[in-house]
Amino acid sequence: MAATPSKSRVKPSPPAPQTPASGPRRSLRLSSTPRTPVHCYDPSSPRKSAKKSKRSLLKTPAFCPITPNLPESKRRRRSGPDSNPSKKKIYFKRVVFDGVGFEIGDAVYVKRREDAESDGDEPEVEECRICFEVGNFVMVECDDCLGGFHLGCLKPPLKKVPEGDWICGYCEARKMGKVVELPKPPAWKKIKRTAKEKLLSSDLWAARIESLWKEPDGTYWLRCRWYMIPEETAAGRQPHNLRRELYRTNDTANIEMDSVIRHCFVMNPKDFFEANDEGDDVFYCEYEYDVHWHSFKRISEIDNSEECDEGAGNDDEWKLSKDSDSQTDEDSEKEEDTAQGTSYRKYQTHQLAANSRRGRIFGLQRIGAKRIPEHVRCHKQTELERAKAMLVLAILPKSLPCRTKEMEEITAFVKGAICDDQCLGRCLYIHGVPGTGKTMSVLSVMRNLSSEVEAGTMRPYSFIEINGLKLASPENIYKVVYEALSGHRVGWKKALHHLNERFSEGIKVGRQENQPCVLLLDELDLLLTRNQSVLYNVFDWPTRPHSKLVIIGIANTMNLPEKLLPRISSRMGIQRLCFGPYNYQQLQEIILTRLEGIDAFEEQAIEFASRKVAAMSGDARRALEICRRAADLADYRQKQLSSCTKVTSPDSSAGKCLVGMADVESAIQEVFQAPHIRIMKTSSRLSKILLVSMVHELYKSGLSEITFDKLAATVSSLCSSNREDIPGWDTLLKVGCKLGECRIILCEEGTKHKLQKLQLNFPSDDVAFALKDCPEVPWLSKYL
Amino acid sequence: MPVSKIPSFSSGSELGSAVVNDLEIAGRCQGSSTNWKRSRSQSALKSSIKSVPSPAKRIALRRCSNAIVDSKGECCDDSNGEPRVVPSSKTLREERSSDPCFQRSTWNPRDPAQIQAVKEALHVASAPDNIVCREDEQKSILDFCKACIEQDKSGSLYVCGCPGTGKSLSVKKVKELLVLWAKEAGFQAPEVLSINCTLLTKASEIFSKVIEKLHPHLKNNSCSPLQDLQKLYSQKRQLSSGKMMMIIVDEMDYLRTRDHQVLHDLFMLSTLPYSQCILIGIANTIDLADRFLPRVESLNCKPNVVTYCAYSKDQILKIIQQRLIVLGYDIFEPIALEFCARKVAAASGDMRKALDVCRSAIEVFEAELRLATNKEELKIVRFDHMDIALSRAFKPLIVDTIQSLPQHQQIILCSVVKFFWQCKKNATTIGELNRSYSEICKGNHIPPVGMLEFTNMCRALSDQGLLNVGQAKEIKQKRVTLKIDGSDVIFALKEIRFFNNCLEFLNK
Repeated sequence: MAATPSKSRVKPSPPAPQTPASGPRRSLRLSSTPRTPVHCYDPSSPRKSAKKSKRSLLKTPAFCPITPNLPESKRRRRSGPDSNPSKKKIYFKRVVFDGVGFEIGDAVYVKRREDAESDGDEPEVEECRICFEVGNFVMVECDDCLGGFHLGCLKPPLKKVPEGDWICGYCEARKMGKVVELPKPPAWKKIKRTAKEKLLSSDLWAARIESLWKEPDGTYWLRCRWYMIPEETAAGRQPHNLRRELYRTNDTANIEMDSVIRHCFVMNPKDFFEANDEGDDVFYCEYEYDVHWHSFKRISEIDNSEECDEGAGNDDEWKLSKDSDSQTDEDSEKEEDTAQGTSYRKYQTHQLAANSRRGRIFGLQRIGAKRIPEHVRCHKQTELERAKAMLVLAILPKSLPCRTKEMEEITAFVKGAICDDQCLGRCLYIHGVPGTGKTMSVLSVMRNLSSEVEAGTMRPYSFIEINGLKLASPENIYKVVYEALSGHRVGWKKALHHLNERFSEGIKVGRQENQPCVLLLDELDLLLTRNQSVLYNVFDWPTRPHSKLVIIGIANTMNLPEKLLPRISSRMGIQRLCFGPYNYQQLQEIILTRLEGIDAFEEQAIEFASRKVAAMSGDARRALEICRRAADLADYRQKQLSSCTKVTSPDSSAGKCLVGMADVESAIQEVFQAPHIRIMKTSSRLSKILLVSMVHELYKSGLSEITFDKLAATVSSLCSSNREDIPGWDTLLKVGCKLGECRIILCEEGTKHKLQKLQLNFPSDDVAFALKDCPEVPWLSKYL
Repeated sequence: MPVSKIPSFSSGSELGSAVVNDLEIAGRCQGSSTNWKRSRSQSALKSSIKSVPSPAKRIALRRCSNAIVDSKGECCDDSNGEPRVVPSSKTLREERSSDPCFQRSTWNPRDPAQIQAVKEALHVASAPDNIVCREDEQKSILDFCKACIEQDKSGSLYVCGCPGTGKSLSVKKVKELLVLWAKEAGFQAPEVLSINCTLLTKASEIFSKVIEKLHPHLKNNSCSPLQDLQKLYSQKRQLSSGKMMMIIVDEMDYLRTRDHQVLHDLFMLSTLPYSQCILIGIANTIDLADRFLPRVESLNCKPNVVTYCAYSKDQILKIIQQRLIVLGYDIFEPIALEFCARKVAAASGDMRKALDVCRSAIEVFEAELRLATNKEELKIVRFDHMDIALSRAFKPLIVDTIQSLPQHQQIILCSVVKFFWQCKKNATTIGELNRSYSEICKGNHIPPVGMLEFTNMCRALSDQGLLNVGQAKEIKQKRVTLKIDGSDVIFALKEIRFFNNCLEFLNK
């Protein structure tokens, strides 16, 4: 604040007119007496203009005719007509707008909506809650409802503002559970809410100015960072929130200066508690709120960590950016003097609008979950839909059949490691092909154990689950583990250091005593680095005396430990658990338990699906997917049927539709057949002939390429020998182009179509498989 | 010590007893605190010393010591300490029946505290107080360090050996002994810095760790930590920094960089004129020093090498017994332990593995205990428990795996075997394999799966360690080899009726 005027004063150019004037006024405001801050316009003015239209009242005071205490020259830095029609944005550090100086870093009130339902203007001065007068008496604020009370109006009257917290009699009574009747205002009087009250009832916004600039068209803009009231966060207002608490968000928006109402003061905790009589527009802000992740972070921590965590390099960078900032500021200030001329008129043309560009900003409305439409909620699910919902992979079934033996083994393993007083570190390696319930079993075991912990039959332990696929790099595992153990987020190198202290030397992490820790490493093979140091470290810890670390590793490959360096596999121990592929009875049981109580599938359909899957991979995910898809198909079929029959007999649609063999069959076709085979199967007659003749010709020649010329000749010879119409040259070309677009065949780039070389993109076996028994053109199979 | 100088160790037990003597005497020389365990083994030792002068065969030794014990009547002492030193399957069994001294306090496996104590004793982390079977190596390291400190000169030592042979453990022990010795002998105790290189974020970080330990308050950003160190060790030393520095570098091969500069610089530190550091590097590779440090060698500063061999059967047995001796009751059948030791020694000689197997055997035993309702004859971990544990650890159950595979995957295996059989080859590509597979499918009226699914199944098989699928740009060109014996596959598939006719023409 102090630097800016001095800087501008040094300059040889004519001194900025705002500096001498704005300085004292602002300071006056800050040192104003409690409850009666002197503002840029007379406190009486709002009341006088109460009958004015809402819009104009919401406008910044410059548009009010009554601003007698401000000299004309101070109201706006206008030195003359626009002398510099610069096309660039000009950035400022400080802008005097309608007589009020706004500076980067200031907090301001911002109008929320253009058509905001505001009950008139916002009085600067709050009225007493009892006598509904302003008066010049000292007021005291209730810490609960934030209402103001004249000291004299209270019963019993107070002599001076009490130290510490003070709660008004009404709130006290309400807390006791009584029904309180607040004094009613006199009927003639309209209750006006202060800006603070509007903000806290989310009719206004508070924002912090991040940058200020002037657009080429002369309008002033600012980039602001929003503040949020606790009610607007995902968590809602918490009991510990102060009434005047705001959260700084990481959401910013560009708004026009016109939407800014006036200053407010957002303070850090220290300043806030020291500020006793700064007026009504004082707010408290300790945390930053991430609007995307709904997380909170202490602002002081953010600032500290930025400085100390990244070390010197970052510091320099930071300074650098600061320097460059100030440079641009200086530049802009130089320009400022010449480019000051914003025409007063121009603003008046937008008088009715809070923002001259309607509907362009107001970012906060984007935040928050969308409403679920009512008709979705009250829609009654049919059996099929319930079945579909149960077959979704994400659903956790109530019971997990077919893996009881393995789960018992895992339970015994974890319990054996944890239950005793001294937790001995151990490792378990679980392997098995995908979709055999490895992760699911471990997680359900851990859930059971955690309920045992709650029941008090087991020692508490901490459980950390890490999926190797979710780590950006294998080293990040240290970071994740350390964060889970201590709650601090540090870089992986630091985390490794701390973790090593924790596990190999038994130094405490955090405040609590070190608990046993169960670490689940899913997709273990992805933690392999070039020298395998990550895996070495992780598996070395359990062999240390005080580690209390139990590791469960999960991967697909059976022989992963043998592929690792011998020193790692030596530390990994010998405990292995194999999850074999499911057989068809097991798959059937899994599906049936999921569908328990839902009558949507034919017995045989489920058996068919599970037999089919068990014969190939034994992957439960796949079996569920097939069943779900079959249910989809049946559902679709039923809906079509009912839409057809609805006209004739509405009752018939109520008849149950079971998922049958045909549905499962077509679902299997979809799942197990690669898309290119389906394309070939469904392609046109001519393209089938073309493909077959291509395969035939390639097979005969033994080459991998064929020219179009030759292909056309083969096609016509095949057609003539099988009594088909011989296609024209350009029809054939078109078909070839289409197949090329589908990437079934690869066409050589070039313009000469006749000699263009063609290549099959897929193995000829696939073509043979797809077109072997094609009912349309049965003679094709003899050329395959 | 006369005993330790026996040139050829005819059997492991002799080595063991000799080494025990050695260590004990060293311990007595140092006058280190004697706990009850040590005093007990000392008394056991007396008997064995008495028996040693005639360098006899193992059995002779054993009988001799027993005879002495019997004559002296130190019965309880012996039964607690001695007899487990040299058991052998043959002698033990006859002795168990004959020797009344073997009646120990019985172990109650149903007591969770006792089971827990056993498990704890067998855990990798619980290191015993004195290390058996590694006395020679430990002594040579200790002597080396002592010599360095006595002569106030630097030196480097390289310790290598397979994983699980007690390298880090005995170096750690040496570290403790050395500090003790230095205190007693009146030398200034050396600063000790032990680093595991896997914990370093980059190789050259090791120098900053060293300098940090050496001069914790040194703040000099003008030159790198390495240069600081080199300067420090090449100048005449000031009086203040008269301490020796012992640097233990575990998993040293992680310091390997492309130009081996870090390793080289590290070893060069000990060759600088006023250097004061004792460098002990630990790694698995035997020839790390030879391969990567030709320049150090040319300066004639090649580090001394101490090699840790894999444990032999007797050593493993002895170590396990030493761990269990504290508990004072029989837990394993001797033959079971011997079986375990033999298997592990044959496979890798990795002590960690042996301990794991024992633990797993106890778990097998526990599981059986839980099932057994009547309290008969479950007092000891028997041979069959150990057998189960060992087979879990060492024998992958290929046959069971193959039999539980999905049918199409079995067909693939069958087609691989058939293809190799017919073509007398041992490698093929996925494309060829697919053809062979389709043939079998067609022969049995099964619709073959598409190429994509076929590749997925091949990958699943390679995940289970049955096939090996190589890398290639085109899927069809990927090389496929069989990782297990073809006869295993045939044996496993024979029991499935479906494959009978597939395999029939194989056997023609």
